[in-house]
Amino acid sequence: MSFLEVFQYTRQDSIIHRLDPRAKLFMAIVSAIVSLIFLEILPLLIILIILIPLLVAAKSLRRWLRSMKGLSILLVFILVFNTLLSPAPNPLNHSIALTLRLIALMTSFSLFFLTVHPDELSQALIQMRVRFEFAFAMSMAMRYVPTLAQEAYAIMDAQKARGVELDKGNPLKRIRNIVPIIVPLIIVSIRRALSIAESMESRGFGASPHRTYMNRLSFKKKDWVVVFISLLVLVLTIYIRLYIPLYVWSLPF
Amino acid sequence: MIILENVHFAYDGIYTALQGVSLQIDDGERIAIMGTNGAGKTTLVKQLNGLLRPHRGRVILDGIDTKRYSVAELARHIGLVMQNPDHQLFLDSVEKEILFGLKQLGFSSEDARIRCESTLLNLGLDSLADRSPFTLSGGERKRVALASVLATEPRVLVLDEPTIGQDAKQKENLAQMLRDLNEKGRTVIVVTHDIEFVIENFPRTVAMANGTVIADGPTSSVLSNDDVIERCSLTAPQLTLAARSIHAIHPDVSERLTLLSNLEEEIVRVLRGA
Repeated sequence: MSFLEVFQYTRQDSIIHRLDPRAKLFMAIVSAIVSLIFLEILPLLIILIILIPLLVAAKSLRRWLRSMKGLSILLVFILVFNTLLSPAPNPLNHSIALTLRLIALMTSFSLFFLTVHPDELSQALIQMRVRFEFAFAMSMAMRYVPTLAQEAYAIMDAQKARGVELDKGNPLKRIRNIVPIIVPLIIVSIRRALSIAESMESRGFGASPHRTYMNRLSFKKKDWVVVFISLLVLVLTIYIRLYIPLYVWSLPF
Repeated sequence: MIILENVHFAYDGIYTALQGVSLQIDDGERIAIMGTNGAGKTTLVKQLNGLLRPHRGRVILDGIDTKRYSVAELARHIGLVMQNPDHQLFLDSVEKEILFGLKQLGFSSEDARIRCESTLLNLGLDSLADRSPFTLSGGERKRVALASVLATEPRVLVLDEPTIGQDAKQKENLAQMLRDLNEKGRTVIVVTHDIEFVIENFPRTVAMANGTVIADGPTSSVLSNDDVIERCSLTAPQLTLAARSIHAIHPDVSERLTLLSNLEEEIVRVLRGA
């Protein structure tokens, strides 16, 4: 599960961390759209080459590399299965591009999630006129991802202690072994959700219709710069896609 | 016999939880492990069945280093019940839940049924056998989790905080079951903050603080030691307090008593003398 680390906020200070979450959200969406527009190796590589310095600026390159290592098995699977099964004229080329696209998409959103504190995110949503309750639910969901992971490990320990062998047997048995993990995980999560709801209500959640906020987000010059550059990139790539035939380059085999 | 030799462990290699714990646990002992929150008690018991492996030092079961065994193999000898019952209950009836543990360890279905029934009875769960564990109260779920391991009668039984949420009667039932198992030669190890439960049922106590063993010996002497009580964030047992008050008046009565029977003897002796 270590690849999820790349979607987990890290408390740090960097240029990227200090940007307004709305600007970062826009940037992430643009880079995701651009990654989806192209399915050729070169443009996707260019996207990654642009994104990686941003990760360095966010002081998160090592974390990203670790997550990619965790993801590498899945990436190899995608590569192998697509190469074997794809109907595309050059299957290897196609599957490399698909793999790069997945990496580019993950990286785009990881830049957002790595650098936006859940509270900032909900504040951003509220200032984008999302109702407070929904914004709160979303930031709670983000907050509980690591807790859920911890819980999963504790459950695995508890079942192993009863003699459940999670990593033994044929694939079918292994899949069946997930049941003793997943059922308690769901039950525990539901129980926790109920008790959080109760404790929130008993502490007066939703008591006053008009909320005030301690910190309000404000767009600064650098945020406008980010939005402007992102917009420019978006327009440019759409234009290139529609009107300029790309030089077709593919692996020579 | 289990021997821990200078066991060190740190979570993520950073948060030191155990720093040089050495213990010898003989077959057929009843041992309580006590200590403040974060003293390393749970980390210690997880070393016993291999859920956590020592970073330095060794855990030896019957002369063989446990690093050679998988957790599942160790589970046949060492039954560990963790604190949170919700982490292990996943079937739709109490009975199935207990049979699952038995089947995992390879009991025949007839044997499993007999063990299941007697365990349910002993823990006062017989009327709940067909209920879904998820509809039970916290204390009941806790007992189901205990039952699922108690039924397998492992050679070494390790319970992490078994008395939480149990009323006095259920605690007594549990204690009785543990004593019965112990009489059959099983080793029983319990992690708990419940000082009265320890005094009444466990002859040996291991006190821990900051990842080390600060005291290990007969319960009566460990728990009448003020330093231990202080460092384990416990309050001295009622009987020790009573013994101290009597000691203040009659200095020949020991102030380090923890058992009711001993205190009774002393009082009778003092009254006779008077």
